[in-house]
Amino acid sequence: MRMLIGFEVHQQMATERKLYCDCPTNYQDVPPNTNVCPICTGMPGSKPMPPNEQAVNAAIEIALMLGCEIIVDKSIYIQRKHYDYPDLPSGYQRTSLPIGLNGELQGVRIREVHIEEDPGQYDPTAGTVDFNRSGVPLVEIVTEPDMHSPEEARKFLRQLVRVLEYSGRVRPEAGGAMRTDTNISLEGGGRVEVKNINSVKGAYRAIKFELMRQKAKLDRGESVTRETRAFLESQKITVPMRVKELEEDYRYIPDPDIFPLVIDSARVESISAEMFEAPHLRERRLVEQYGIDPAAASVMVSERELADFFEAVAKEIDPKLAATWFRTKLKKVLNYMKLSAADVNFTPNQIVSLLRMVDKGEITPEQGELILRELFKHPSDPRKLSRKLGLKRLKPAELRAAIAKVIRANPRAVKDYRAGKEEALNFLAGKVMGLTRGRADPREIVKLLSAKIMGRK
Amino acid sequence: MDEVTRAKLKAIKSRKLSPVENVQQAQERIAKLNKKINAFIELNPDALAQAEALERKIKRGGKTGKLAGLTIGIKSNINVKGLRVTCASRTLEDYVSTHDAEVIKRIRAADGIIVGMNNMDEFACGSSGETSAFGQTDNPAAPGHIPGGSSSGPAAAIASGMCDLCLGSDTGGSIRNPASHCGVIGVKPTYGLVPRQGLIDLAMSLDQIGPFSPDVYGAALLLEGIAGRNPNECVTLDVEKISYIDKLDAGIKGMRIGTSPKFRELTDPKVMSVIDGAIGKLRDLGAEVVEVELPHLEKGLPAYYLIMSVEFFSATRKFDGRKYGKRIEDVCGDEVLRRILRGRYISRKEYRGKYYQRALQVRTLIREELMAALDKVDVIVGPTVPKLPHKMGEKISVSAMYVYDYLTIPTNLAGICGGVIKAGEVGGIPVGLQVQGKALDEGEVLRTLRAFEAIL
Amino acid sequence: MAEERLKGIERSAEEIVESFVRAVETLPALEETYYSHELYNIMRPDGKPSSSRERADFRKRFVSNMPGADEDGNLRVEVARWTR
Repeated sequence: MRMLIGFEVHQQMATERKLYCDCPTNYQDVPPNTNVCPICTGMPGSKPMPPNEQAVNAAIEIALMLGCEIIVDKSIYIQRKHYDYPDLPSGYQRTSLPIGLNGELQGVRIREVHIEEDPGQYDPTAGTVDFNRSGVPLVEIVTEPDMHSPEEARKFLRQLVRVLEYSGRVRPEAGGAMRTDTNISLEGGGRVEVKNINSVKGAYRAIKFELMRQKAKLDRGESVTRETRAFLESQKITVPMRVKELEEDYRYIPDPDIFPLVIDSARVESISAEMFEAPHLRERRLVEQYGIDPAAASVMVSERELADFFEAVAKEIDPKLAATWFRTKLKKVLNYMKLSAADVNFTPNQIVSLLRMVDKGEITPEQGELILRELFKHPSDPRKLSRKLGLKRLKPAELRAAIAKVIRANPRAVKDYRAGKEEALNFLAGKVMGLTRGRADPREIVKLLSAKIMGRK
Repeated sequence: MDEVTRAKLKAIKSRKLSPVENVQQAQERIAKLNKKINAFIELNPDALAQAEALERKIKRGGKTGKLAGLTIGIKSNINVKGLRVTCASRTLEDYVSTHDAEVIKRIRAADGIIVGMNNMDEFACGSSGETSAFGQTDNPAAPGHIPGGSSSGPAAAIASGMCDLCLGSDTGGSIRNPASHCGVIGVKPTYGLVPRQGLIDLAMSLDQIGPFSPDVYGAALLLEGIAGRNPNECVTLDVEKISYIDKLDAGIKGMRIGTSPKFRELTDPKVMSVIDGAIGKLRDLGAEVVEVELPHLEKGLPAYYLIMSVEFFSATRKFDGRKYGKRIEDVCGDEVLRRILRGRYISRKEYRGKYYQRALQVRTLIREELMAALDKVDVIVGPTVPKLPHKMGEKISVSAMYVYDYLTIPTNLAGICGGVIKAGEVGGIPVGLQVQGKALDEGEVLRTLRAFEAIL
Repeated sequence: MAEERLKGIERSAEEIVESFVRAVETLPALEETYYSHELYNIMRPDGKPSSSRERADFRKRFVSNMPGADEDGNLRVEVARWTR
């Protein structure tokens, strides 16, 4: 049965002040109802301040990253969307008409992008409201129902989150910075909107549950009615939300207290020129420009700083070598040390030096990795580090001597290997590694060992 | 009556009258008269302390503001921190204001002293002063008759000399209407000239705060004090300090004043005859009287009520009783509920084009007509209200009540300015002359009012 | 009684709507006027937020107007029915 899934993603933008007032936006760091003023609490007589320009620019940038056409030279009204809910201090939410239209990401069409203000935080079980968050600027991204499975939906959301992080214009995803209203329907049934989803994982679970629930209904011969449901994170289920709590007719009117926005092409051009390249576009370009394989490119763009680093390095040295190293060794050390690419202190030139040493055979790849780890802690010239660690590669004669020594010292293992036990070879290789303190290439050790043992009678 | 404010200011400046004495006099007068007139529903317990502080500043030789020592009444829909700003409704009867409206900040900066909160029609939904949840206001100039509304309290306070100046608000005539009925000066500024931050909304695109005064000078002075751009609001005009006092006495010789036959069509002949007399006096002062066309003037009324109802419905969604006060629909009066329900009905998705958008089109028509007329003349003069104020307690229908607004509504729809001065009486009841000017032409309007005042 | 009052008010509310429709039947369809004056792009730069001192004064007054608050300063409202 064909499933149609669409999202309305709400993401907080990274500004210091709220959208219509000057209260700070760090709502999670302060006690309840501290970052508040008459405007964001809807006190009688309060009027919005002019909209936060940074938020408007951020929304334009995000819309551009998603391939949207920006609405230029036309009035973009800020509308009042009326509904009754405890977290909405004025009884209406200020939400703009679209800023961007008709974008696309990973095959999913983006219908529109606009800005709105965050309501306060309502705890529906405790029955309390904290208005610290009320008025924080949000960008809303609405997709067409172009996803057809929970996995597809999850993949899209992950990619969307990455794009948003790339822009540098959104608050980091920490407890509710991104919220997604999800629309799900099975062909033959009504569209169900699920609210109260605060994470990609939550969206995936909610969709899976809905798929099960709706399918079961249809199998029983019941129809799926169009409704709004809430996702309960802890139980991983969706439950009906009373329709009365969220009225259908929002009675939109242009807000008489706020003049419309008009975006001119000069603004769009200047934002476009300064913004970071979107990850999905960069991935494509890395493959084309540097001839690296798509899997490596995908790893490269997983963090904007990592891709920046890669490109700096790939200018000086074989991109394919660089890509392999980044994808395997560098990413490995980053993960192991729980760091992000933005945290590294060593320079692209230092990596280039290191890779040249490996490429020329002055050090083994494993030795290179040791130097890399050292680079993280003490960024400096890799040659210096190599000397400091005593990692100069063994001369062939020295290696042969070490191999001979180990063979002499371990007759039992040699006999075992000759008898067909492979693991004996590894044992011997380990001994050689220990003796040479990692200054030889393990592959070469194995090769020479094997040759020597099998060659000898 | 015409030099009252100037004289008061002089007395305070020359130290013949101290701010403390002025406040005490106001408080005594209020205590004496308010029970009957009910112009004030809340008094400022800090007024005397503020007067004392001002006195100390004067004694030190410190610089004082334009309104130094004057006692000012504030309509109960304008936020004054620490006082109950109730909009004369049970909805907000316990709401202690958490912030000063921008105009209040400016009054304080000019050393004006706020003596209390004036009575009004509930949530500004009225033109008579009869719908307050805290009792009706009487008309001191015509006792037993309505004072007009919705700024009934401010008009009555000035008419009975309870304080020097008042602030009211005007959405469809709520300053000018009571100014006319009570025989005092009232001015509705150009939309966007005076900041609305802190004014509890009736209709966001129409509301303006404006002065009440016994004389034109006082109105001009107070308007100077509150007008000008507020960078913390979107919708104020880019106007920095202006002066109205400077050219106030310039006279109106050679001025072109327009009047429309439509006024006569819509107005009670007894009222119109007072207005004719007033216009004759203006002509004697050297103005040229020209006829202007306002063919669709009366269409403004239904259009206004539709637009205002939608905006009021939106404005009142915050009164859900959760954060402060009570849920409005649970405790409000009939007219407030009427406007909420009407607004709710009209703003439905399927009715938008038929009602709301259509009304906004009519607004364009009225606007264009008034602008075209004001292209030909400097100001337009005429009656303020089409009929005399009825007796308090007289039952009149909803539509008969709305009729009072015919002549004042177009000013708000067009966003231009208008002021009112007493032109005469009919059977002892004041009749006000309305002078309308182009956007930001308060100077012309005040000049005209002043010229008329000088010959009374 | 409350029902009757409501019905009566609704009816009288609609009267002027009907008279509006009649009154404007013959009028031309012009562009809607949403704002008295046309100004665009009134925006405010992002920057240092308001001082915690001014907000502290407001917060005190805000909390004292609240019908109910919990010990952390959250506003007390109704519990959502769909959570039960």
